[in-house]
Amino acid sequence: MNARAAIDLTAKVNTPENIQFEYRIAGPFRRAPAFMLDLVIRASSITAVFILLFCTGIIQVLALPFSVAVVALFISYFLLDWFYGLFFETYWNGKTPGKWLTKIQVISADGRPISAYQATIRNFLRSADLAPFLSLQFLDPTFAPMYIIPTGLVAFLCMAFTTRFQRLGDLAAGTMVIVDERSWVPPSVKLEDPRVEALATYIPANFRMSRTMGRAIALYVARRSRMAVGRRAELSAILAKPLMQQFGFREDTSTDLLLCALYYREFVLKEIVAPGEEGSRPPASRPASYGTPLRQEVTHAPPIVASIASPSPKGVSE
Amino acid sequence: MRVGDLLDRRRQGWQELDKLCERFASPAKRRNVTASEAARFAALYRAACTDLAMSEEFKLPPATVDYLHRLVGRAHSQLYRSGSFPVDRWWHYLMVIAPRAIFNDPCVKVAFIVFFGLFALSALMAWAEGTFPGFAESVMGKEQMETMEESFSKGLSGNFDHFIVASAGYIQHNTSIGLSCFALGPLLLPSLVTLAYNGIMLGASFGYMARPEVDAGDTFLEFVTAHGVFELTAIALSAAAGLRLGVGLWMTGDTNRLDSFLQSAKKALPIMMVAVVLFFLAALIEGFVSPSSLPYAIKAFIAIASASLLMFYFVILGYPSDSTSGTLEEQT
Repeated sequence: MNARAAIDLTAKVNTPENIQFEYRIAGPFRRAPAFMLDLVIRASSITAVFILLFCTGIIQVLALPFSVAVVALFISYFLLDWFYGLFFETYWNGKTPGKWLTKIQVISADGRPISAYQATIRNFLRSADLAPFLSLQFLDPTFAPMYIIPTGLVAFLCMAFTTRFQRLGDLAAGTMVIVDERSWVPPSVKLEDPRVEALATYIPANFRMSRTMGRAIALYVARRSRMAVGRRAELSAILAKPLMQQFGFREDTSTDLLLCALYYREFVLKEIVAPGEEGSRPPASRPASYGTPLRQEVTHAPPIVASIASPSPKGVSE
Repeated sequence: MRVGDLLDRRRQGWQELDKLCERFASPAKRRNVTASEAARFAALYRAACTDLAMSEEFKLPPATVDYLHRLVGRAHSQLYRSGSFPVDRWWHYLMVIAPRAIFNDPCVKVAFIVFFGLFALSALMAWAEGTFPGFAESVMGKEQMETMEESFSKGLSGNFDHFIVASAGYIQHNTSIGLSCFALGPLLLPSLVTLAYNGIMLGASFGYMARPEVDAGDTFLEFVTAHGVFELTAIALSAAAGLRLGVGLWMTGDTNRLDSFLQSAKKALPIMMVAVVLFFLAALIEGFVSPSSLPYAIKAFIAIASASLLMFYFVILGYPSDSTSGTLEEQT
């Protein structure tokens, strides 16, 4: 496990399709609520069985002996205690109801689905993970000295020392708990300002962006809609000012727009070409209505006024 | 083609895949999925995989790459779903592999010797009051002895409701002993201490109740006969499973700690499974038979039958043969 994966809380998985993708790992603070929910579900199921057996008069109606009801209650408790997690994780694709509600899922550490065998191990070892137990006297000195209050320290310590937040049962079964990705709309960046397209055409054609710069600009553009105008200017200036020098742009060009234009050029406009065919496309025609940011053409108006929406640049050859 | 156009074109496929994932995830909706949709799902998944693989080459925006990682992960966990429960293989595991693993495990021997040895010793000392005066009293405490005698002071016949409640309490008590022995197993010593402590306590109460001058003794022995074999064995077995985990964690041999622990967990699984089955059987007997006023012969027969069953399982099924090795994982 390399350091990066530990920091990013992701687990890389190689699929049979021979590609590599990442799962996000669920930490103790996602898993504890799932555990609590499962506990509540189990407790309320057993309470429901209890009420059904002893409070609805079903014993009298069916003329059952009292012991049958007690044993039925016991069997439900036993089954819920030992086979709840095993059953759901096997048949619900690694999710118990609590995990489903908190949107997490158990899978094998190698990315494959969890098998019944793994589900058995990790659920049978849960009691070891909940150790050490506190005595009931911890709550009230008059209670019987029964060591039944779980602390879960073993699980927490174990998660703290493993990179994939695995508890003892996870380690033994070779499983991990990941965030179950639900529908998630891809963040499509809307660059509605038509000046962006115009500005993009002024960026020198031979300008090549490094990967890290591309990432920084993409992050900025994805988040700029949530920033105040002043903040946009402040943040974008850090990256855009040196670039403006390099491109020979006027000092009063909007740095925010420049980053948007770079994004547009890099992630929307850019041709996908096989290596070796670069530069086969003629340069896009320049919508002229917004003026120019270049220093040599100072006579034109600066690119601030946006009155007419321009059509997107034509001249695309496929 | 431009990146933007590519994204627009692909986005439809991704969203279709996303919708299909949602349908596959829900058991109710999954039933209505047609064969052509399943095939479409596979095709879309492969396409998304390709897009993800090419995302570096195409220089897709980072947010889109993130999205693709999640989409592919989601589809992957639907395409390769968790399997079913292969009953026949588990049966083979439980009847062939598990008894052999248990028979060969030194941890089981240690746990049995500690538990039953101390149990027998303590029972003997508590019973022979003349030789060891005050042993039972000092182990159990006067108060607990009186409570216990009190609860067995009535005969079994006609007091079913009283004893069924007592049964529930004892089931809970003994199961929690077994569980805490297992749970403390990775720490080794606390598990052994718990096991020894409970062996001594149970032994002392058995020995004390077996004294001829204790009136409630006959009721007690009649009560514990039927389920005792299963329950005591289950306690010893669950401690053995815990010890097996602890041994793997601290005595690593030639492997690193994690691998050693994994191997020991695989060895502990059959022991724990059998312990759980025994706890369950013991509880059934304790719930139905023990508190009832059935003749003692029947209860004694159940005790003998269960002891023979255990002998058959551990010794005859468990006796090493040529093909002793093998885990469930290799089977499945």
